[in-house]
Amino acid sequence: MTVLDAPADTAVPAVRGQRLVPVLVGLKLTLLRNGLRLSSGRRAAYVASLVVTLLLAAVQAIGLVALRGHPQAGTLVVLLTAVVAVGWAVMPLFFPSGDETLDPSRLVMLPLRPRPLIGALLAASLIGIGPLFTLTLALGSVIALAHGAAAVAFGVIAVPLTLLVCVALARSVATANIRLLTSRRGRDLAVLSGLVIAVGIQFVNFGVQRLGRAGGMSSLEPVADVVRWLPPASALGAVGSASEGSYGAALGQLLLSVLALGGLVWLWERSLVKLMTAPDGSTVAAAEPSAGRPGADRSGLFSLLPEGRTATVMQRSLRYVVRDPKTKAAWVTALAVGLIVPVLNAVQGSGSVYFACFAAGMLGMQMYNQFGQDTSAFWMVALSVSSTRDAYVELRARALALLLITLPYTVLVTVVTAALLGDWAALPGVMGLSFALLGAMLATGAVASALFPYSIPQDGAFKNVVPGQAGLAWISILGGMVAAAVLSGPVIGLAVWLHVADHQNLLWLLLPVGAVYGTFIGWLGVRLAAPRTADRLPEILAAVSKG
Amino acid sequence: MADQADSAGATDTAGVAQAPPPTQALPPAVRVEGLWKRFGEQVAVAGIDLELPAGRFIGLVGPNGAGKTTTLSMVTGLLRPDMGRIEVAGHDVWRDPVEVKSRIGVLPEGLRLFERLSGRELLGYTGRLRGLPGAEADRRATQLLDVLDLAGAQHKLVVDYSTGMRKKIGLASALLHNPEVLFLDEPFEGVDPVSAQTIRGVLERYTRSGATVVFSSHVMELVESLCDWVAVMAAGRIRAQGTLAEVRGEAASLQDAFLELVGAGVRDTGESLDWLGGAR
Repeated sequence: MTVLDAPADTAVPAVRGQRLVPVLVGLKLTLLRNGLRLSSGRRAAYVASLVVTLLLAAVQAIGLVALRGHPQAGTLVVLLTAVVAVGWAVMPLFFPSGDETLDPSRLVMLPLRPRPLIGALLAASLIGIGPLFTLTLALGSVIALAHGAAAVAFGVIAVPLTLLVCVALARSVATANIRLLTSRRGRDLAVLSGLVIAVGIQFVNFGVQRLGRAGGMSSLEPVADVVRWLPPASALGAVGSASEGSYGAALGQLLLSVLALGGLVWLWERSLVKLMTAPDGSTVAAAEPSAGRPGADRSGLFSLLPEGRTATVMQRSLRYVVRDPKTKAAWVTALAVGLIVPVLNAVQGSGSVYFACFAAGMLGMQMYNQFGQDTSAFWMVALSVSSTRDAYVELRARALALLLITLPYTVLVTVVTAALLGDWAALPGVMGLSFALLGAMLATGAVASALFPYSIPQDGAFKNVVPGQAGLAWISILGGMVAAAVLSGPVIGLAVWLHVADHQNLLWLLLPVGAVYGTFIGWLGVRLAAPRTADRLPEILAAVSKG
Repeated sequence: MADQADSAGATDTAGVAQAPPPTQALPPAVRVEGLWKRFGEQVAVAGIDLELPAGRFIGLVGPNGAGKTTTLSMVTGLLRPDMGRIEVAGHDVWRDPVEVKSRIGVLPEGLRLFERLSGRELLGYTGRLRGLPGAEADRRATQLLDVLDLAGAQHKLVVDYSTGMRKKIGLASALLHNPEVLFLDEPFEGVDPVSAQTIRGVLERYTRSGATVVFSSHVMELVESLCDWVAVMAAGRIRAQGTLAEVRGEAASLQDAFLELVGAGVRDTGESLDWLGGAR
């Protein structure tokens, strides 16, 4: 039995709904303030995101106001609202721990009844950057759409309704998923979901390009006609309908949003009660893995490698690519984006074979922050590295593990791109350039791993840097990429010269030159990084243990 | 304080009789001189001198925040001291890492393992990194998994292990290369009694072979029953070190002696909590 079952009139006065609202709102504000007080980096990040959001919101509101009277304002408004609502629904999956006042498991020991708790949680949810943004969107939309007193009346209801539906949507999704998100497998899934976005953005990007050619907004009207009836966009759709005089439709749309709000709150309440009265899912043991999994006995390809540190480290690195959600997400994103950019450009006929170098660049990035990928488990490496030689073998093994995936993949992407464009003549040159670039990325990645390590938080899909280390991460990656471009300069120069001097028939030369140069520069980078790694083990450990 | 260690052999009256008396020829397992570490404003370790004899079961005790973890991290080479000298088995930790790192095993507190490996894979990985031939690493791993009662979970990922299982697999990784000195930071924290007994058995057997165990804890009963040599830390300083009997002195138990040493006598709550247990 829990406190939820306790009779209302016990000696301890239960907190009533009306008094709960200010308590939870106050709690939220306090947590926000304390969170910001914790570190100046976090404060800066918060203020920056607040400013950016406010700017975005302002631009959006001005844009919407400017759209007033435009025939397609209605289409745009409902679609925008739908996109924002989808954002609200997906957000809690990516940031499960984003909002502490709303984590019901922390309130489980308090004598609270679900109904007043829901109201207070909803009120507390309205504080924040997201609700502010949504509010300006709704306000701007009503200004863009409302013509006539009736429409304004509908607008007055539609604005808070839209906001509430969005917030309730996020809360009910979050609460329903808390059980999943507190189990290890669920968190792994949430981390991986980040790459859905990363890859999705590429497709959206190309979709938008298509749209731009196909005649703009009018092609979206059929979609908008459906979305107009979907909450919370239907609340704003009602304002549009009212402006056009179809009050029946407006009433229907508004009613749909109200019903949706009721339904969401009901769902939320149900899963909240279940969550607070049933045992916590996080302690339920994960399923036994299949017994057939090979043990430490080296199987398959690894048995071909000589014994010793190289094979051991390579095997561990590759296992992490498959098993560690953060590493896996980074790899799948790199593999997908590395393929999508050159291939989709080639399909659209706008690309060049040289776009295939993108794959080498994306995959080479995985060499950066090698020790950050280990998290604080790096101590196990640190304890076994006692000389520059050990550090050299460690780094070289990590680079080799990377090459095991990257080399064939680069070849594949280059060949596919060349095939799609039918430009076989450029193939060897592009491949040589890719190899040089890859070598340069490995070299700068190894050096950056030693000099600029930073922690990778293990939870959340988008948090790749711990607050306070963002600068370090940017220096490492940006500086490294510039350095890699400079380092592969000789090969790039050769390629340019062969083109300019009209020696196209000699472009094949780039392949051996690029391969040899890439190997050399990669080796040199690892060689240079090794003594720095061996000297800085405690500093690296401290830097990667903050996640 | 260092001279207390010299008298340790003579006054050893407590505990494990099997521990061979340290001879003068054997260098101390750990020798620390003037060790300092400061994090920003806070001084975590304030100039400690410590000499831990070899072949003993040594407890490093102190309240939370006393600097135990910081000290152990610096002694094992995982944290760079601001000042001071550390020798393990006669070799300087920072100048001679090759000699030191092959001689020590470490189970740190608050640091992750490579948790996406299964227990068996983790041991295979650690053993090979430590330079053991693959077949030997796997043989030792099998035995350790058996003794530590982890054989049933050997193919499970470490990320799905319970606290006690993690401590045990961490201990197994630390023991795999048969180190001379074993450093364990809170090895019994969050461990159930059954696992604790298993860990204890393995450690007692290991010290009987003449190896040294240094472990930190704030559970005095545990230290009293396990250790024959104790160092007490509080607020970044060593308050006492010596055999269990020396440190305990006149006090009834190590707990009492410890509270005396760290200056935390029984506080009288007086009138301030008079409502507690009163009419409801």
